[in-house]
Amino acid sequence: MRRFNASRAFLISLAACVGWVLLWAWVTGAGGPVSKLMFPSPEAVFHRFLRMWTRPYLGSTLSWHIYSSLSIVLAGWILGGIVGVPLGIAMAWWKKLKWIVFPVFQLLRPVPPLAWIPLTLVWMGIGDPARITVVFIAALVPWLMNSMQSVYSVDKLLIDAGRTLGANDRQILTRIVCRTALPTLVAGARIALGNAWTTLIAAELLAATAGLGYVALNASRMLDTDVLLVAMLLIGILGGLLSVAIQLATHVLAPWSLRQSGEE
Amino acid sequence: MTGDRKTPILELRNITKWFGREGDGILAVDDCTVKVKKGEFICVVGPSGCGKSTLLTIAAGLEKPTRGEVLVDGRPAGPPGPKRCVVFQKFALFPSETVAQNIKFGLQMTRVGAAEQEKRLAEQLAIMGLEQFRNAYPSELSGGMQQRVAIARALVMRPEILLMDEPFGALDAQTRTILQEEIQRLHKEQHYTVLFITHSVEEAVYLGERVIVMTRRPGRIKREIVLPRDVAWKQGDIEAAAEHPEFIAARREIWALVREEIVAR
Amino acid sequence: MRRKQSRWPNHGSEKIQATLYGIASLAVLLLLWIAATSLFGWIGARILPSPFAVISRFADLLIDPFGGSTLLGHASGSLERWSLGVVAAVLLGIPIGVSFAWMPWFRAVVNPVFEVLRYIPPFAWVPIAILWFGVSTMTQASVVFIAAFPAIVINSQLGVQQVDRILLNAARVYGAGSLKTLKRVVMPVAAPSIYTGIRIAISNGWMALVGAELVVGKNGLGFLISQGQNNDSVSTIFVGIISIGALGILIDTIVHRSEAILLPWRKKLAKAESS
Repeated sequence: MRRFNASRAFLISLAACVGWVLLWAWVTGAGGPVSKLMFPSPEAVFHRFLRMWTRPYLGSTLSWHIYSSLSIVLAGWILGGIVGVPLGIAMAWWKKLKWIVFPVFQLLRPVPPLAWIPLTLVWMGIGDPARITVVFIAALVPWLMNSMQSVYSVDKLLIDAGRTLGANDRQILTRIVCRTALPTLVAGARIALGNAWTTLIAAELLAATAGLGYVALNASRMLDTDVLLVAMLLIGILGGLLSVAIQLATHVLAPWSLRQSGEE
Repeated sequence: MTGDRKTPILELRNITKWFGREGDGILAVDDCTVKVKKGEFICVVGPSGCGKSTLLTIAAGLEKPTRGEVLVDGRPAGPPGPKRCVVFQKFALFPSETVAQNIKFGLQMTRVGAAEQEKRLAEQLAIMGLEQFRNAYPSELSGGMQQRVAIARALVMRPEILLMDEPFGALDAQTRTILQEEIQRLHKEQHYTVLFITHSVEEAVYLGERVIVMTRRPGRIKREIVLPRDVAWKQGDIEAAAEHPEFIAARREIWALVREEIVAR
Repeated sequence: MRRKQSRWPNHGSEKIQATLYGIASLAVLLLLWIAATSLFGWIGARILPSPFAVISRFADLLIDPFGGSTLLGHASGSLERWSLGVVAAVLLGIPIGVSFAWMPWFRAVVNPVFEVLRYIPPFAWVPIAILWFGVSTMTQASVVFIAAFPAIVINSQLGVQQVDRILLNAARVYGAGSLKTLKRVVMPVAAPSIYTGIRIAISNGWMALVGAELVVGKNGLGFLISQGQNNDSVSTIFVGIISIGALGILIDTIVHRSEAILLPWRKKLAKAESS
C-alpha cells in the first residue's frame, strides 16, 4: 500500500472517466460489438434525455415522472421520521418502553419492505398511499434504530456533568441528550433516505402509473433502451443528490461535529 | 448561613460501597470517613483502582453509598447539584454547545437572570483566559483549553464545594503544570473548598493542605498527612516548590505510603 | 437512564424482566390478532386472516403446490438464486475491494464507475436485467449480485485500509514482499471487516431477491407472495412474508455464529484488550 498523492489520484480518475465514456461510445457505436437493443450509445441517451422533457413518455413528461418519484419518497421518509425519531428516543430513554416495543419490531424487521407491497395493494389498491406506506416502512427501520443508537451513544459522563450542574431529568433529555445525539440522528436520516429511495423505485416497478421506476420497467418491456438508461441514470443521480443534501444539512444542524481542533 | 465553624462543610461518614450485591460483588470503598472544612484543599491519593474516584462520585451524589452517608453542613446531602460542582477527568463538555454556552449551562439550569449570567460569564472567561474562545466548540479546542472551560463551568456556579476527579490526568505534562499553578492561585485568592483526587503525589503535595492516602482496593483511609498551609514554597510555581526540602520530605513520605499499597500482596 | 440506574446493573434480574415484558407484549398482540379476526370478526378475512387461517394455509402449501411449486419448492428456488448472486459478489467483491485499498491507481481508474453504479438502487437494474437475461435465474441472481456487491467491496477496502501502518512496516523490515505481506499480515487483520461486509451483503441480497421475484419470475417466495395477491389469497401472502422473514433471520444467525468459528482470533483479541 503505497501512499498516493490525492491530486494525482483525482487526475487519473478524471482521465479514466473520459476513457470510460469513450469506451462506452465505441462499444455501442456502429462498429462495436454491442447492439443498440442491448445497450444504448451515449449520444442516444443524451438526446432522449433532452426530448423527454418536452415529449411525454407513457403519459407524462420527464419532469412529472421525477416529481412523482420525489414526492412519494419524501412523503414516506418524512412520515418515517415523524414516527421513528420520537419513538426511538423514547425507547432509549425509558427501558420499559423498549422492552415492550422492541420485540414486536424485531419480529417485523427481517421482512423486506418490498414484501409488504402485495399486502398494501390488496388493502389500498394501486395508488399513492400504497407506495407511501411501503416507503414509510422502509424508512422507519433506520430512523428508529438510529434514534435509539444516538441516545445510547451519548456519553453517560455528560449526563453526570449535567446533573452536577443542577439539570433535572427533562432538561437533561432536551438540552444534553437530544442535542448531542443530533449528528448521529442526521446520519440515520441519510440511511433512511437511501432505503426509502431504493424501496420507492422497486414499488414503482410494481404499483405505479408514473415515476422513474415505472418508466424504467416499461422502457425495458418495450425495448426502449435509451429511455431505460435515461431513467436509470436519473435514478442514480437523484439518489446521490438526496444523499448529498443531507450531508449539507449536517453543516447547518450540527456544525460542531465537523470541526476539529488543529492541535493534539 | 453555614453552621458553626466546627461543622465540616462536607463530611463523608463511614462510606462503604459495594458494586453488585453486598457481600457478593466488588467492594470498592470500605468504611471511609473524610471531613472537609470550609476553605480547605484536600487531596486524595492512592494506587490505581483504589476507589478514590468512587469516593468522589459518592461525594457528588452521583452514586449512592452502600453504607454510610454524605453530609453537607451537617445535614444529609441530597441529589447532585451545583453546590457540589464536579470537574471530570475527561472534561465532559457538551459538544453541541459553545464555550460560552457550556459555562452558562449551570446558571441556566438554576434560572439565574440573563444579566447576571453574562456578568459571571465575562468574569470566568477573564479568569481562565478564555475570552477569544467564547464562541468555539469543544472539538476545536485542545485538551488544556477544554479543561479550563470545564473548570470555568464549575467555578461560575460559585459552588460551596469543588470536587475535582483527576482533572489533569488527561493532559500533557506541560499543560498540567500550568493548570496546577492556576488552581493554586485561584484557591489562594478565592478560598474555595476543594476535594481533589489525583494519582500524582507531587500534585497532592503542591496543592493540598491535607493529603489523604488510600489503601489499594478495597479502599480504606491509610493515613492523613497534614501539610503546612501558607508556606512560601506554595505561593510560587511548582518547579521552585519541588526543590524545597519540606516538599521533598512530604513527597517522600507520601510516596512511600502509596508504594506500600502498590506492591502489597 | 433514570437516576436509579447504578453503574453496575444487576444483569440477571434485568434480563429476565426484559424477556418477560417482551413475551407479554407479543402475547397481547397475538390475542388482539385472534380477537380481531376469529373471535369477533372485526376485520374481514380478506383483509387480515386469522392466525389459524395462516397456519392452515402454511400446512397446505407444504403439500399442495401453488403457483408452480410447494412452499419448500419456492423456498429452495429463492435460496438457490440468492446464493448464486451472493457467491458471485463475494468472489468478485473481495479481490476488488482489497485491490482498491492495496493499489491506489487501480482505485483511481475504477472507482468513478463504481461510485456511479453504486447509487443506482439494485431494483433499478431489474428492467435492464430482464432485457438482457429474459425471465430466468440469471435475472434475479444478477439483481442479488448488484445488491450484495457494494457492501463487500466497501468493507473489504475499509478492512485493508485500517490495517495499522506499523504492521506493514514490521513486515517490510523482516523481509516480506508485497504479496506475502498481503496474505499473511493484511488479510487476517482485515478479515473481521470483510466478514461484516459479507453479513451486510447477504442480508441486502436477500431483500433484493424477494423484490426481484415480485417483479419477475415463475418461482420463489417473492413470486409466491405476488401470486397470493393476484388470487386475493391474503393468507398466502402472510405465509410468504413469514417464510421470508424466518429464512432471513436463520441466514443471518448462521453467518453471525460462524464468524466465531472461522475467525477465532477475533474473540481472543477482544479478550486481551479488555483485561
